[in-house]
Amino acid sequence: MTLRKPPMPRRLFEVGVHAVARLLPAASPSALGKVVRSGVGRRRLQSLVMALTTFATVTTAMLSLGLLTAVQAPFEHAFGARNGAHLAIQFSSSKVTAAQAAATAHAAGVTEAAGPYPIAAALDTTIGTDCAERAGSDNGPITVSTRPDLGSTSGMDQLALTRGHWPTGPGEIALPSQDFAADCFGDSVVFSSLPGKPSFKVVGFADSVTNSATGFLTADGFARLTAAGAKSDEQMLYRFAKAGTNADIATDKQAVAAAVPAGAVESGQSYLIAEQQATGNAKAYVPFLIGFGILGLFMSVLIISIVVSGAVASGIRRIGILKSLGFTPAQVARAYTAQAMIPATLGLVLGTVFGNLLAVPILGGATQQLGAAGAASATIPLWVSAVVPLGTLLIVGVTALIPALRAGRMPTVRALVVGRAPKAGGGQRAQRLASRLPLPRAMSLGLAQPFARPARTVLVGAAVLFGVVSVTFAVGLETGFNRYLDASTSGFNVASEFVEPTADVGVPWGRYGPNDPRDPHLDADKVAAALAEIEGTKAAFGWGDSGATMVGAPPGGETPEVFTTTGDFSWTGMELLSGRWYSAPGEAVVGDKLASAVGIHVGDDLTVVQQNKQLPLKVVGINFDTNVGDYTVMTDAATFTAAGLTPHIDQFNVELASNVNGAEWSTSAAAALTPLNASVQPNSDGGKNIVVLTMGALVATLTLMMMAVAALGVLSTVVQDTRERAHDLGIFKALGMTPKQTIAMVLTSVSLTGLVAGLIGVPLGVAVEKATLTPMGNAIGRHLPPSVTHTYTAGLLIPLLAGGIVIALLGALLPAGWAARTRTATALRTE
Amino acid sequence: MTNAPMIALQDATKKYDEGPPALAGVTLSVAAGECVAILGHSGSGKSTLLNLIAGLDKPSSGTVTVDGTRVDQLGEAGSAKYRRASIGLVFQFFNLLDDLTVLDNVMVPAQLAGMGKAEAKRRAVELLGSLDIDRHAKAYPQRLSGGQRQRVAVARALMNRPALLLADEPTGALDSSSAEDVRRLLLDLNAEGQTILLVTHDIQLAADTARRTIELVDGAVERDVVNHGSGAGPAARTPLTRPAGEAR
Repeated sequence: MTLRKPPMPRRLFEVGVHAVARLLPAASPSALGKVVRSGVGRRRLQSLVMALTTFATVTTAMLSLGLLTAVQAPFEHAFGARNGAHLAIQFSSSKVTAAQAAATAHAAGVTEAAGPYPIAAALDTTIGTDCAERAGSDNGPITVSTRPDLGSTSGMDQLALTRGHWPTGPGEIALPSQDFAADCFGDSVVFSSLPGKPSFKVVGFADSVTNSATGFLTADGFARLTAAGAKSDEQMLYRFAKAGTNADIATDKQAVAAAVPAGAVESGQSYLIAEQQATGNAKAYVPFLIGFGILGLFMSVLIISIVVSGAVASGIRRIGILKSLGFTPAQVARAYTAQAMIPATLGLVLGTVFGNLLAVPILGGATQQLGAAGAASATIPLWVSAVVPLGTLLIVGVTALIPALRAGRMPTVRALVVGRAPKAGGGQRAQRLASRLPLPRAMSLGLAQPFARPARTVLVGAAVLFGVVSVTFAVGLETGFNRYLDASTSGFNVASEFVEPTADVGVPWGRYGPNDPRDPHLDADKVAAALAEIEGTKAAFGWGDSGATMVGAPPGGETPEVFTTTGDFSWTGMELLSGRWYSAPGEAVVGDKLASAVGIHVGDDLTVVQQNKQLPLKVVGINFDTNVGDYTVMTDAATFTAAGLTPHIDQFNVELASNVNGAEWSTSAAAALTPLNASVQPNSDGGKNIVVLTMGALVATLTLMMMAVAALGVLSTVVQDTRERAHDLGIFKALGMTPKQTIAMVLTSVSLTGLVAGLIGVPLGVAVEKATLTPMGNAIGRHLPPSVTHTYTAGLLIPLLAGGIVIALLGALLPAGWAARTRTATALRTE
Repeated sequence: MTNAPMIALQDATKKYDEGPPALAGVTLSVAAGECVAILGHSGSGKSTLLNLIAGLDKPSSGTVTVDGTRVDQLGEAGSAKYRRASIGLVFQFFNLLDDLTVLDNVMVPAQLAGMGKAEAKRRAVELLGSLDIDRHAKAYPQRLSGGQRQRVAVARALMNRPALLLADEPTGALDSSSAEDVRRLLLDLNAEGQTILLVTHDIQLAADTARRTIELVDGAVERDVVNHGSGAGPAARTPLTRPAGEAR
């Protein structure tokens, strides 16, 4: 039968095929090469599908494995080379002696320990006046430590000096490069919250791989700080026999805590937190890329099975002729394997290149967090570019070899006698049952067709199934991403209008730190009262960064911010993961990321420090925090006031009544607010999270690719089926079946399979999404709330259930058209 | 009967690619109720002629008119509807659908034409009875003998009461006994008024069955002769056929 050939970018594909074919083993005699090339040429469509599936598989596998290693490698390398500590614990010097702290080296599970080292946590700093450009600027909190030999190249947690030299005198300090402005190197840093404001000259940039401390002094220098009033504690560093997970570390920490008096452990810094901070958001890509990679691999295996099995089934006479001409069984098997390997090789070469190219923008984000050293190594490692395609090629080869061996073993006489694919023997009962249905005859004929070739139907169903799983998975992810984006525009970002200090208007956000005297604040009571008086104000609340730090927070990476609020913010959509909002002085709510990093739960106590004054807080809730800072504590401004600390209110978020014009409200508000040094700014809706948007685009691309592959898998199978049924089609057409009826029959033949695949595929897709979204959140240290993770609504699931039919129909549409256009006389001659 | 011929070919030519035409300027006509045999060797153009008349293929030039329909001007859908309405096809290798029962095979053309299932079944049972194969109605074609299968094929071809029955080597795949059986059936049908065009290379079959024989050589009509004393008698309405010339 001569079905009309499908349109395709033939030239480009053929050039690629011939290029790869020339690379076939030299052992292939030219006759075998010709057989292979002609086989590929005759099945251009199927070859294209195989190339596309391997392309999709290799691209996603390259990305996931490449990202995982590229992002993880710099930290792992540094952690190993510098013998990083699994856990750094800070003991309160008021509850343990140095000897008691040292004795914890013998706690259960500890394999190596170092310390105790004196440490002073979270001391506020500013840049000294000798750095004219930034004199007085807030430099954030620093956790300072001293060790007998700062530059030691042996032992645990070896510190690395990247610029300058180690401090040699009491007036010198070394800081991590990211914790001090590079253009102020050599100038001084001032411990602004300590009496006397001691200052130190920054003589070196140095860091601990796990951020066990973020400032390094000589013993004399440290003594200057304690003399100025800094509280000195004891720090111990540990490595454990088992420390692979957060749970392991928690167990280890408990073992250490059990070895000292109750309440002696002030904080613990896990290397997993440092690792997460180092790898950043890039690891969030990994779970869903792995998901797509696995789906792609299954799809590749399936499509190659379909195509090679189909080629063998429909080429029995050809196999017989080849063998009668002297081809050995091994040569026949090689010929059929190579027909799959050529397009697959083409796909995996392109996938390797594309995977590497696609990794560039994704790794770009990660390199910022890895620093200069990480940036240099943040490319997909060469071994990944070798292992992934070779591994895929092996799987493809084995998949193709199985049906190819069947072809090789086929007896020559039988192949020549049978001459064509065996006719469908089954399906008679299905035809009888279908004929009883109240359907047009063309449709009932099509409905029974899948039962005539159950194995092929299973393959079509599997292709649709993977397509449906991919689509369901992707739709769930996209919905989750969008909800995450929605959540990120809630809370402190929700408002019709913002009110901020007039002095802040036009000043870039964060130019002055919260402890910088130049950082202006609002008079909260007066502004709140004025807003309440302005007609059209529906609700308003004030908030600001108090400049306080949390005791026991991870010293490196993101700095915890303690926000003070005033007024009712229930209208902003801020979401609690557990507990309740604070309602009395002394209560606080902690952001989920900080809670995860430090191990804070509802009911725990925590301490914040502002200008060296400590404030104990009771944690009453954990909130899903996508607001200004990643590590946040929120408490009512009244809590600070009652404790003698200073709450900062830097902004009011105002919700206007529905019928109020924003411009008119601003005009009337300006009159009331200007005397209070406050100005109204419209809410311009901050930018979207670029990482989430990138993920969304990537998911959409991969989904389209998988859908296309699934539909092409169906198409490939239906084409083959149509070719094999060409004679029957000719009979139908001779009996008066119109083109429309022919199309209806072919489409109906896949619709039941599509429906069943959809019904099975949707729950599987949901399961894959559930297994992926939560790990993605965990990868960036988040516990996603139900509003983000509960993505599948009835409105979403119902169309998804129909997705199987849609994919099946899309795949069958082209061959249905070809079947309809097949010349009846030609079809009737087909045997 | 009307005066218009059932089949009229005017200078019909069919060329495939380069080379000599498969059919070269054939002009012929067949009256309603006639049984005409097309004779010729392999490659003479017999099957091409039958395909053009059945609307399975189109002439490269010239016209083909059947039962008043310009077949050469029909599109794909039009051709299908034309075959449903006017043509019954009987093939050398029966071309029955193996996964349908005999009854279902016979019902298919009517069902494709939109006939209700009950009515189609009634008509199919009637036809199978007339052809004496009703006891095999629920069997599958593979279980029947060649002659029985060809009877089923004839029943299917007659399902929509076609104006024209086209039989392409209908005895070519049968033993002599079955072939004789089919020959008699064709004679009976023609006797009942069914217009038949019989394509064969079997001179004896042509002589015994058809009143007129047209011989094709290299795509052209070499001879067009009337066989005196053979063929069927005057037309009569039966369950199998519609009377020759009856308007549809």
